[in-house]
Order: sequence, then C-alpha cells, then structure tokens
Amino acid sequence: MLEPLIQNNVVCHAVEAMAFASIACSILGVVISRMNLASIGFTMSHAAFAGASIGMFLETNAQMAAIAFSVGVAALIGPISDKAKMAADATLGVLFALCMALAIFLISYMQYLGKGLSASSLLFGDVISLYREEIYALAAVSLLTIIFVLLFYKEICAIMFNMKIAQASGMRVQVVYYILLFIIALSVALCLNIVGGLLIFVWLVTPASIASQFCFDVRSMFIVAPLVALLVSAFGVWAGFEYTLPIAPLVALLLTGTFGLAVMLSTKRKVTTRTH
Amino acid sequence: MSIIELEGIYTAYEGDDKPIIRDLTLNIGRGEYVVIGGPNSAGKTTLLESINGLVKITHGRANVCGFDVRRSGHDVRKKVGYVVQNFYFDPFTPFTTQQVVMMGRYGRLGLLKRPLEEDYKAAERAIRLVGIEDLAQKTIGTLSGGQQQKVMIAHNLAKEPEVMLLDEPFSNLDFSAREYLQAILLDLVKGGTPIVIVSHAFDGLPDIRIHLVVMNEGRITKDICCPAQAVEDIVRKSSLKQ
Repeated sequence: MLEPLIQNNVVCHAVEAMAFASIACSILGVVISRMNLASIGFTMSHAAFAGASIGMFLETNAQMAAIAFSVGVAALIGPISDKAKMAADATLGVLFALCMALAIFLISYMQYLGKGLSASSLLFGDVISLYREEIYALAAVSLLTIIFVLLFYKEICAIMFNMKIAQASGMRVQVVYYILLFIIALSVALCLNIVGGLLIFVWLVTPASIASQFCFDVRSMFIVAPLVALLVSAFGVWAGFEYTLPIAPLVALLLTGTFGLAVMLSTKRKVTTRTH
Repeated sequence: MSIIELEGIYTAYEGDDKPIIRDLTLNIGRGEYVVIGGPNSAGKTTLLESINGLVKITHGRANVCGFDVRRSGHDVRKKVGYVVQNFYFDPFTPFTTQQVVMMGRYGRLGLLKRPLEEDYKAAERAIRLVGIEDLAQKTIGTLSGGQQQKVMIAHNLAKEPEVMLLDEPFSNLDFSAREYLQAILLDLVKGGTPIVIVSHAFDGLPDIRIHLVVMNEGRITKDICCPAQAVEDIVRKSSLKQ
C-alpha cells in the first residue's frame, strides 16, 4: 500500500503493519482504559500468546490458534466471575496466570522435544518478517475497529461513562460489550507477530493514556490516540532500521517516553486540578 | 390498575444461592408517591433493581409497565428511570453534563439509531427542569457531588419515564436543592408517574398521602398509606420492633 512512498519492501511492510496495529489497538485502548478494563487487554494479550504456543505445539496455524484461544478466554471471563463469585479483576488474574503458564510450559516442552522453537518472535514480535496476507488481515481488523466505533458510537460512549447506568437506561450493553471483547481478541491475536505477547499491552493502553492527558471529550480521544500511536510507531520503525535496533521494544519505549512527557505537559491535568 | 405488580418474588444476585428478597408482594399504581424504608441490608436497593430487572428474579411474578420483568427486563428498563446510589465520576471523565443527560434517551432509541430532534429537545427540557443550564457544557467529573446528583436526575428525566425509581436521591443535596427536587418529583406524581424512593431521610417529604413500604431482611414488614408527617415515626417504630 505504501510502496510508492517507501522503496524498501521490508521497511514498507513494517511501517504498514505498525500503522494498522497502532490504529486498531489505540482505538480499542480508548474504550479499554476508560472502562478500567486494562486487565482485560493484559489477559487477552497473554491468551493470544498461549494460543499461538498451542498452535505451534499442534503444528497448526499459530495465528488462527491465537485468535481462537483469545476469543475463548474473552468468552470465559464473565461466566467464570459469576460462577466463582469473584471480581472480574481476580478472574482475569487467574486467566492471565493460566495463559502465561501454558505458553511457557509448551515452549519449554517443545524445546525439550527438540522442535527448535524460538519463542522470541511470540514474546517480542518480529515486524520485519511479515507476510503480505498478515498485513491485509491487520488492515481488515483496523477497518473493523473503526466501523465498530462509528456504528456503536452512542452505545460505546454510554458504557465508557458507566456500564451500570447504561444498562439501567435500557441499552443492550451486553451485545456491545461482547463485540468489543471479540474485536480486542482478534486485534491482539493479529498483532502478536508484530509487537509480541509481552509488548502489545503498551499499544492497548499507552496511546489512549497519552490522549487522555489533553482531550476533554471522547471524540477527540478517538482521533488523537491513533494519531499519536501512528506517529510514534512510524518514527520507531525508521529509527529501528536506521540504527539497527529491535523495532517493537523501541516503539514501546518511545510510547512510554511520550506518555511521561504528556503527563508533564498535560493541560487537562492542570485545568481539572484547578477546578477541584 | 397497578403499573408495578410484584407477586411472591424471590431475587438473588448472579451466582448467589441465598435470595436477597423473599416472597415479596407489592402493587404500585399510577401517581403514587412510594417511600421504601428500613434498616441497612433490608433489601431496599435490591427491590428497586428487581423492579427494573437489573437483579434476577428467580421465583414469582413481576409485571412492570405491562412487561414481564423476568422475560423482558430490557423493555422495562427503557420505560423506568433509575437514579442509582453511590456513583463517582473521576475528574478525567470525558463527558459533559449535556452528553450525560442525552444518554438517558439512548435506551429508548435502541441499537444503531442516532438521536433525533425530539431527543435533543427532551434532554434540553430535563436540563432546564432540574436547573442545571449553567453546567451543561462542563464535564461531569469536575462537578460537585450534589451537582452530579442533579445531572443524574436530569439523565433519568430526559428518558420521560413511566416509573421513577430513586435510591437515596437526597444524600448529596443541600436543603434548597432537596426542596427543588421534591417539587419536581411532586409534579411527576401529579402527572401520573409513580415515584419509588429508597431513603433514610424522611424530612421534607411532600404534604400528600405516602405509600410507605418498610422492609427488613428481604421481606416487607409494613405496607400502608399514611400522611407524610407520620412516615419517620412509623419507620422508626417498625425498625425498633425488629
């Protein structure tokens, strides 16, 4: 897609992949962070990691396995919390530990069996060895995320404001919530190859947190968060290639640095502190 | 004819075996001013959330606004306003008063439908009625507790509800704001909308016949009509007996 602008195919693929991952994750991140669902993002990213490990262990398509496992975990969160009479956060903690343990167990076992699996691409991503189909899939999930937000904008705003109040006002919040979980699972699983299971959380949470330092309304957060993620990711890809640095961790560090800067410069923080 | 008909209902929270409300029967007609009193943990809030279907009714018959609550809780909630207790909106909440009041209309609108001119007008009317025009463009997290309470009341009034449930609506309000809210509620009652209030503070009730329901341990211990001045005394005596 960006070939006319970027001659080098590898760099071009990396920029495209980072751009689509940034758009999907940061838009979802605005909803996740406002609903205090950061632990969902955290658990889903590790579910995708565990799913990919299962796929590799069973010698099937790792990405499909990652998607299936993340969607499965997303579907389990509500029922487990209800049955076990636990807070959702505690359920997520248990599921996170299960996913992490499962992934590490399978990776270690495959190494023991001599299957020669390198876990580093699953853990930290490998943005320079992506197939064109993977980039198309990322483009599709970014588009799906944008369509989801545009279609359900009023419902998303209401559940971001307060889930219980939205439910009490007669909205079908569960429908929107489950679609949201499904898209998070899909996005996280597809982004696994780019930024890895350990770092994807940064894309889900940090751009939205940066936007929240300056934006007073949700509409501008949905625009600023992907823009920030896009710019920082593109710069990170360029710097990674220019100075031969690992791209995904570099972008994660740059996003975190930008967040620190945003907190220091936040106009909103000053205004809200003054009015209180 | 009753707009709220509960007959022998039992309710329990998801995953809980022990019912919070047990064998409760209650009928509320149009234009009634209902006060629910009783000690802490009596099941007062659970009763409100059973009426609008937020809490699952496991046994019994519940009919509200012509809908079976057990089957069509979602349709009931479109017609029933509910001002919740204990809400907190952090200073970074990115929604203005106007947007929050408008959200009160979303349930009626349904999925995927955009607000129409009449929805905006209903929200504006609710803002004017509660007297928070000056707060319309302020973000809700920057308002005081009392102001947030008023916004949540306007949010529910924008819905143009057939029944209004309020859980401790006066808790954050000063004296004049209480009087102002009581006048709004009285107007609703006169218009035929029943008001169901859970409260621990009974001073300032309007000078009309009150349908008083006293609860204890998930059951109704008193269900009478009485003058407003008698409410506090009856609730206190009923609570002491238990």
